[in-house]
Amino acid sequence: MRIPLAEDDPQLGDGLMVGLRQDGYAVDWVKDGIAADLALKSESFDLLVLDLGLPRLAGMEVLARLRGRGQNLPVLILTARDATGDKIAGLDSGADDYVVKPIDLDELAARVRALARRAAGRAAPLLQHGDLMLDPAARQVTRAGVPVELSGREFALLQVLLENRGRVMTRTQLEGSLYGWRDEPDSNALEVHVHHLRKKLGAELIKTLRGVGYLVAK
Amino acid sequence: MTAATTRTRWFSLRRRLLVWLLGGVTVGWLAAVGFAYVETRHEIMELLEKWERHEQLEKRVSKELTDHLLKTMLTPLLFGVPLFGAWIWFATWRGLRPLDEVAAELGKRAPERLDPVVPAAAPREIRPLLEALNALFGRVGQTLDNERRFTADAAHELRTPLAAITAQAQVAARARDAAERDHALAQLTTSARRAGHLVEQLLTLARLDPAAELPMSELRLDTLAAEVYADHGAAALEKNVALELAAPTPVTVSGNAAMLRVLLRNLVDNAVRYTPVGGKVGVGVTALHGEVLLTVSDSGPGIPAAQRANALRRLHRLAGQDIEGSGLGLSIVARIAELHRAPRSGRRDRPTGAERTG
Repeated sequence: MRIPLAEDDPQLGDGLMVGLRQDGYAVDWVKDGIAADLALKSESFDLLVLDLGLPRLAGMEVLARLRGRGQNLPVLILTARDATGDKIAGLDSGADDYVVKPIDLDELAARVRALARRAAGRAAPLLQHGDLMLDPAARQVTRAGVPVELSGREFALLQVLLENRGRVMTRTQLEGSLYGWRDEPDSNALEVHVHHLRKKLGAELIKTLRGVGYLVAK
Repeated sequence: MTAATTRTRWFSLRRRLLVWLLGGVTVGWLAAVGFAYVETRHEIMELLEKWERHEQLEKRVSKELTDHLLKTMLTPLLFGVPLFGAWIWFATWRGLRPLDEVAAELGKRAPERLDPVVPAAAPREIRPLLEALNALFGRVGQTLDNERRFTADAAHELRTPLAAITAQAQVAARARDAAERDHALAQLTTSARRAGHLVEQLLTLARLDPAAELPMSELRLDTLAAEVYADHGAAALEKNVALELAAPTPVTVSGNAAMLRVLLRNLVDNAVRYTPVGGKVGVGVTALHGEVLLTVSDSGPGIPAAQRANALRRLHRLAGQDIEGSGLGLSIVARIAELHRAPRSGRRDRPTGAERTG
């Protein structure tokens, strides 16, 4: 999952970015409203973590422009403003969650998972496919009840594919959700991850559509 | 007597009114009785003069008549005084009841209620008092609002560094390798230092606010500048910023040494912070035509004209800055300069210049 993080505070931004990366998300950190707006305009993301007190362009304006363009990715507002009026304004302007600083990283990760789950049209926390079970919160995969060891990227890739069961995911889409701007994926990194997943979970699970992408059948 | 002048002399308006009114009525009554007595006695005497034959009778009748006259005129006074007293008491009680209402309204007020007192009915006599009171409420309310806003802003401002501390601590705890943990711990230290700096600046401002009168003394501004200069030498050197002090002659001003040191420290700290590597920061103290000019200049970008007024506002940080700061430095400078009655100016060519006349 690829998440833009709009936060102007250098230490907090760094902490959230690294923290969310530890949870396996591809995080792109932007430090002002204009940069956030530009990034959202030009690339596709899965969820936005937005601070309201952003320099150059206020967070609320970033949100208004985002929704004005018809983009419906989940938005989590993370701010120091705790007035009820601010919360109501934030949620009514199209945010999906409103969290007041300071926040526990684990709680933030849980909220991100919940929003992602809802955005994918699910309510159940676990992703199930045959005897395969993926738990996004515990970051654990089991096959017929037996835990399977996966690397961070492999886990993220499997999650995206399972969330989009029955849909072909293009290389660009998959790479987009695995890598942020700072990560430079080499040309066949994706193939390597798919290869590892097949080795660990069976060759049948992920189908290749040559030249297009991959899919997990329904 | 000096103690009495500083304390309120309390008296009952009602008792005063009663004493004066009743006294007046009694004196008036007695005067009327006296006048009537003299007049009637005169008339009786005239009448009796014509009644020459009976001298014995004359004396008896005269005595009886005057005695009777006195009795009839004075007896009602005996009942009249308590009756009048009761009436005046009632009248003043009724008449001054609006004062009680005002007192009751003020008495049952919650301490945070500072809207003007507007009693349903109030005597004209206390109007100036009420107006003064309402004006005071207004001023207290304003101060309270400022304080409340400041506290809210400060708490708000502390949230972000605290959130950073939490986040970095958790990142460090979950670090996947030593490099990641070291990075998080370094960031954690920076965040904690920033929060500490912010708290310190907030305390400085809080201490400055109620101090309308600072203890002032004669002091050498050039020596003070040299001290602050020395304190910042290391930080400037580390950043490769040239720090220059121009205080050619001894300059004496009247001021508060501790506060002026805070002012200088904030200005120099600001200048060093916002000056690019390899830049220059100059501190100048000069006396000119009986005026003292204190300047702190830097070769940094300066504050854009449009943002200059905002820069002095509390907790305001200019947009798009990566440099850490509490956003309080310049408002502290502004406040100290104000307490020293020094005009202050910031110009783009001398972006953080502060002038002080002494």
